[in-house]
Amino acid sequence: MRSIFYYVREFLRPEWLKKFFFAKTAPLVSPSYFKDYPSLTEKECTACLSCMMICPAPGAIAVLRKKDGWEPEVYPGHCIRCGLCVEACPEGVLASGRILDVARRDKTAFLSWYRLQVDDNLCMRCGNCCVSCPVNREVDPQLAGTGTSASDEVIMRIEGGRVTILHEEKCTGCKTCENNCPNRAIRVARMVEGVQGEEAEA
Amino acid sequence: MSILQDIKNAVRSRSIHVAYVDVGSCNGCDIEVLACLAPRYDIEQYGIYVHNNPREADILLVIGSVTPQWVDKLRDIWEKIPEPKVAVAIGNCPISGCVYARRGTLTTPPVENYIPIAAQVPGCPPRPTEILNAILSVAPLIYKDYEEKQR
Repeated sequence: MRSIFYYVREFLRPEWLKKFFFAKTAPLVSPSYFKDYPSLTEKECTACLSCMMICPAPGAIAVLRKKDGWEPEVYPGHCIRCGLCVEACPEGVLASGRILDVARRDKTAFLSWYRLQVDDNLCMRCGNCCVSCPVNREVDPQLAGTGTSASDEVIMRIEGGRVTILHEEKCTGCKTCENNCPNRAIRVARMVEGVQGEEAEA
Repeated sequence: MSILQDIKNAVRSRSIHVAYVDVGSCNGCDIEVLACLAPRYDIEQYGIYVHNNPREADILLVIGSVTPQWVDKLRDIWEKIPEPKVAVAIGNCPISGCVYARRGTLTTPPVENYIPIAAQVPGCPPRPTEILNAILSVAPLIYKDYEEKQR
């Protein structure tokens, strides 16, 4: 009998009734460490386009020209919140969750370079790529016509009737050679590597 | 009349029936909808009930970039839902196609081309809290004073 009274009294307590009828789990907010859509920090964008180049989702980020300088803009319907743009930005223009803190703590960074590849079966040795390349033109102004060059400092030149790539590391990724190739034989690919430690600080 | 409408509003705010349809997603958003049902987020404490029958539903959650096979079937499902009804696009796929929005993929996003979408929840996938917030904020807009708005 006493136990029944005990239970009735227990169940009539206002706190208990409130908890029972208006039960709610934790409020519907995202935690502070949630990797949300990248937001802008105060840093200045230099329009290097690293964020756009590393973005895996089509049309998710665009670096736009604003009244005073450049500014990356993220489109929520396209962005997959992977955070790669935040990590790839050399200036730290974007921030999201604790990506920047973790990258600083672990000393991680992305290294990128351009890789030139010529398909010998498609290439017809016209030398358009060597002639059109703006870096080549600066290094060796004499380079014209057949794409042969006396200089060893050019990115690529025609040697013995085929394209030889000498200095891949000078490539700026402008893809002028790709656009001027009649056969789509030359491809410019951007390679990205994640590095940690001393390499990342350099 | 207004008292009756008030009662209806009060009841409907705690009785939102949801059907979800996956029209060709990667299942990531499905998992997030499933997480809404689990105790951590517990969709039913907000008075949202999940059915897999469009005839019982008020809200249709559309998940996934639309594949060609789903186009006519999605319209059928939409027509089976009784009025008042509303469709919510969950995730990037129904909004833009997300990573499938490139050449050579057999998808035909966005989903607005086929059925009217009232709310979009971007994200790949969206958090369960975002899905819940979307459902809870779109439901009163549609169902509050529904009969009075009809007249």
